[in-house]
Amino acid sequence: MSVVRLVALILALGLAACTGEKNSVATSATGGTLVISVGGDPESLFPPLASTTTGQMVGDLVYDRLAEIGDSLNTVGDAGFQPRLAKSWDWSADSLSIAFHVDPRARWHDNKAVTAGDVALTYRIYSDSTNGSPFGTALANIDSVTATDSLTATIWFHAKSPMQFYDAVNTMLILPEHLLANVSASALRENAIARNPIGTGRYRFVQWNAGQSIELAADTANYRGRPRLDRVIMTIAPDFSAAVTRLLGGEADLIEQVPAVSIDAIAKDTAVRLLLANGLDYNFVQLNLNDPKNANRPHRLFGDRELRRALTMVLDRRGIVRNAYDSLASVAVGPTVRAYPTTDTTLRQIPFARDAAMRILDSLGWKDTNGDGVRDRNGMPLEFDLLVPSVSKARNTMAAVIQEQLRKAGVKVNVDKLDIPAFVDRENKRNFDAVMGGWHVEPSPGGIRQTWASAGAQTGGTNYGSYRNGTFDAEVDSALASTTLAGRRKFFTAAYQTIIDDAPAIWLAEPKRVMAVHKRINTVGVRPDAWWANVADWSIPADRRIARDRSIRAR
Amino acid sequence: MAAFFVRRLLHGFIVVALVATIVFVLIRAAPGDPFSGAMDDPSVTEAIREAWRHAYGLDRPIFEQFVSYVRSMFHGDLGFSILLKRPVVYVLRDALPNTLLLMSIGLVSGFLLGIEVAIAQVRNLGKKTDKILGGISITFFSIPDFWLALLIFVGLGYWLPGRIFPLGGVVDVVNYDNFGFWARAWDRITHLILPSLTLTLLYFPLFARHQRAALIDTLPSEYMTTARAKGVSESALIRKHALRNSLLPVVTLVGVAFPALFAGAVFVEKVFSWPGMGLRIVESIGGRDYPLLTASVIFASAFVVAGSILADVVHLWLDPRLRDDR
Repeated sequence: MSVVRLVALILALGLAACTGEKNSVATSATGGTLVISVGGDPESLFPPLASTTTGQMVGDLVYDRLAEIGDSLNTVGDAGFQPRLAKSWDWSADSLSIAFHVDPRARWHDNKAVTAGDVALTYRIYSDSTNGSPFGTALANIDSVTATDSLTATIWFHAKSPMQFYDAVNTMLILPEHLLANVSASALRENAIARNPIGTGRYRFVQWNAGQSIELAADTANYRGRPRLDRVIMTIAPDFSAAVTRLLGGEADLIEQVPAVSIDAIAKDTAVRLLLANGLDYNFVQLNLNDPKNANRPHRLFGDRELRRALTMVLDRRGIVRNAYDSLASVAVGPTVRAYPTTDTTLRQIPFARDAAMRILDSLGWKDTNGDGVRDRNGMPLEFDLLVPSVSKARNTMAAVIQEQLRKAGVKVNVDKLDIPAFVDRENKRNFDAVMGGWHVEPSPGGIRQTWASAGAQTGGTNYGSYRNGTFDAEVDSALASTTLAGRRKFFTAAYQTIIDDAPAIWLAEPKRVMAVHKRINTVGVRPDAWWANVADWSIPADRRIARDRSIRAR
Repeated sequence: MAAFFVRRLLHGFIVVALVATIVFVLIRAAPGDPFSGAMDDPSVTEAIREAWRHAYGLDRPIFEQFVSYVRSMFHGDLGFSILLKRPVVYVLRDALPNTLLLMSIGLVSGFLLGIEVAIAQVRNLGKKTDKILGGISITFFSIPDFWLALLIFVGLGYWLPGRIFPLGGVVDVVNYDNFGFWARAWDRITHLILPSLTLTLLYFPLFARHQRAALIDTLPSEYMTTARAKGVSESALIRKHALRNSLLPVVTLVGVAFPALFAGAVFVEKVFSWPGMGLRIVESIGGRDYPLLTASVIFASAFVVAGSILADVVHLWLDPRLRDDR
């Protein structure tokens, strides 16, 4: 084929393309397409196994819970919870059971009616340990779930707990019994529903093109009302800077976490705005309080509380956080986040006081006796390894600054960068001196029992530094047992103060969630735990719609 | 000749089997496992990881796992991707066509452009054109692939007035389903242009430099002098006489580059959000997705063997003298 013919064919294809789009004009209050840029494919769209953000986002939009946590993130009792699949609920007199009344209007996307049996089956799937759902442990307090009648599901608890309602409703997205009742546990992960979910949410699943996109469409006959946007499309862009360029180039409407280096470019763009919210993440330098080679012995350095406190005093935490995040993170106040109503942000911190810290190190016997710039005691240098996950740019930056600040105080830090599996493997085996750790927490602060209390210090727990303090444990238990917000806050404040004073970790940053959204989109109710929770109520005014808002999927 | 190919195929099979075995063992010897990746998520406890290991059979002895894997492989079952929760065959089915399409366009156009540049250089040997083209080749040869990909992505995709080219992806995810046949074809072409241009610019210097050197070696040959004495034009002299005989080393290069048809180009795929094998392989390494990684390495080594056999075949076709030596 000659070059001229080839060019003619390409031009012909181009002309055909210009007339190929079958648009349907939306003129009502509803309409529009939201294109969300995400970093990768979800591993599964089956809610009990969906642990990536994208998987959870799709799950939350396609499926419903019995009730939804309120914007205040209260997890005590049922205050603030909004009805979803359950239109109402009744507590038993002894609070050991709650009867949920399923909304009779609710239907699955394949038009089958929702029943109480769906709730019972959902509990069985989530709690069956052979399915390996990471959410199953949150249901430990549930004894059973029974279908009292076709529209009443009763959840029975082992014991009363202030968070029993939250644990029961927040964990489970209700699954369709008519599609899953006869599927064995081993076949669940490969079931068609794991890639083609059928739920009751205000968006229905349309398609998932691996590596490219996931498309959801408005469920126009949904029992909770039609969502305002016609379509939600998640487009996959693995490279951060490319994702930002696609946003600025108008090919995407939203990035859920903007990299710090792109903030300026986005702030200057006239079509896009930044959306800042508190997040549910905090990070820290976790110190191993036990000897990595023999867990029965204290760590040669970090077994000493005064040394831990002195090391914390050496570090300018505000400067470290600013270096890594600019203004997009706050200095962490302890093993908690500001989004919790139980967090007291005025907790007493170990101050940044380098000179005082140097004097404490001297008084502890850590002096540079051989002039090599590193303090030592009885021939042992004040030196430790700091493990850092290589993929985290912020943690790598903070590690470098910490290394330098400690060097000036005569402390040698060897930064060891590892990929995630190797990093987590070392954490699990407690084979480290210190790690640049971090936690993404649930709306409930209850996870602290696993991450910082003695219960999590056992093998298999996630208190990797093996911090143990009976007072702290008791204060956490009291906080979690408290049935009022004021009571919880009081005990949590005491617990956080205890652990801050003990310094088993150096609390670093609490990154904010920085999203970028196209200005034509009206966003409402951005929750810290799930920004997408209210996407069905987001809208695009008719006069601000662009070409893709008017393009709806041909059916 | 037939015996030669049977021998090469047998050698190839042994190489693939050895590579598969080594990878199977090595990836399991690396620290961590597929379930160590849930960093920062306190809900994933060691007990849950144990349940997952059991579900995927990773708690069994490695020899038992290997035997089971080999048995399944001979039944056409490449295992179940732990990261993507689906059969490996499906993962390859989705990613491989994208990679084959992009890489074959990149390789072929890089090869053709490289040859043309080399011919232009040789025809103007020592002159300004030769030096300019040589400089351009060296420049593109030295540019890191991720940087060139970003430059083209931003320069031609974002900064170019009118935004002619899409910013990544295989198709327009918003409108593609609404397009007719021709519009779909056009959509795919426009999405291919920038990533394949990147690959063309990355590959052509390699071919150009080798081809130029090979042509310079060929030009003083006696048969060239004879042809020139017969009055053959300079253009025909190079294209019809010198090129065929100087293609052999470059064809070897094509054989070496052939595995890229499977493995893709990671950075180009990443920048252009191109869902190909390169990204999948990198993900499978980072996530310790044993089944996907092992299958990918088996296919990649099979492509290496196929590339080497293909290079031999083309050598034989180009140079009849070699046929007797086999």
